[in-house]
Amino acid sequence: MFGKIKYFIQQSWLLLLASFIFGLMIAVADVAWSAKIEQNKTAKMDNLMKGLISDANAFEVAVKDANLPSNKGQVAKTNIYKALDAKGNNIGFAFIATGSGFADKIELIIAVDANCGKFLGFQVLSSNETPGFGDKMKTDSFRNQFKGAPAGQFSLIKIGKPETIDNEIVAISGATVTSTAVVDIFNKSIVSVKEILSQKGLIK
Amino acid sequence: MADGNAVKIDYFGSLTAGLWRENPTFRLLIGMCPPLAVTTAVKPALTMGLSVIFVLVCSNIVISLMRNLLKPHLRIIMFCLSIATFVTICDLYLRAFAPRMSEILGAYVPLIIVNCIIIFRAEACASKSNVWVSALDGIGSGTGFTIALCILAGIREILASGKIWDYQVMPHGFVPWAAMQMPVGAFVLLGLLLGLAAIITAKKD
Repeated sequence: MFGKIKYFIQQSWLLLLASFIFGLMIAVADVAWSAKIEQNKTAKMDNLMKGLISDANAFEVAVKDANLPSNKGQVAKTNIYKALDAKGNNIGFAFIATGSGFADKIELIIAVDANCGKFLGFQVLSSNETPGFGDKMKTDSFRNQFKGAPAGQFSLIKIGKPETIDNEIVAISGATVTSTAVVDIFNKSIVSVKEILSQKGLIK
Repeated sequence: MADGNAVKIDYFGSLTAGLWRENPTFRLLIGMCPPLAVTTAVKPALTMGLSVIFVLVCSNIVISLMRNLLKPHLRIIMFCLSIATFVTICDLYLRAFAPRMSEILGAYVPLIIVNCIIIFRAEACASKSNVWVSALDGIGSGTGFTIALCILAGIREILASGKIWDYQVMPHGFVPWAAMQMPVGAFVLLGLLLGLAAIITAKKD
């Protein structure tokens, strides 16, 4: 019995010691930098949301871990943010919505006004769409179609004027899958967001 | 490979081997994931290269220091342990001080753990040589790898966007090659560069 323990220690003391020291090194690095990492994340979200709701002075979490539809019929937990202007009035909401794109999942930040009546636009948080085709969803000409559009259900059309702001979205030519995906993300997420916000009494 | 006990140690050779003679990308063809995945632009490629140099030098030094204590059946697990530690520290650092780069590189920074350049240098050099040779070897191989990444990224960035490091270099009216931004561009360009490297070495010999 004693011999076995001795053999075990002889074989593995270096591994045990190294694990301890390396673990300590990572712990120190994590303690030193985790505040900065957290700060970067919030700064990034705030920046993107500010791009959508330009009058906003500050953002705070309105609903923590709300269940929003994600890609492939799954549900993802994400925060719904409330935008406040300089006087502290609520001027809109922003949330992260996810769906399946052409190559990978698409993550969008979508902003709506305070009554959930109009969209204020969207930003692409992460995507892996084909350069030159699906990638064009990041261009202003496509994104501006959503700015100011009524927060209902969108339909996709092939030919039309992108400048008219209504519930018809002109698809990106050569990227029907991506266009459909973006419209789908809007259609699915806004239903859930409206439901959650009215449950919480944040909108009428 | 230089031996720790040998009387004469080729320090200069250890440093320069990785640059061309044993260049990981163009001559040994190991660690081929980053050259294909992170070379759409020079900035992320350079960040990746510097991260690899850091991990390679640190892990080489640590492994070289404990080389006489390593038991044969435990050596791979020790290599992985020390590599994973430095990669995690590097990943945390990038997330704290270069969040934009960290976002572009995404999963490829943690994936340095399984990059075979690092484990290969640990096995072939650091576990047999003294600390100085191991450190120089790490710097040499890492620099060779970084240069290879930057060459690939430079060509791809110019052809895909007409810019390099955000400076416009191509004349107005240049049509960007969308293919160069996609994986196909990386494969084709890497193939051509490997062919070029083979021609150069064939002529030298």
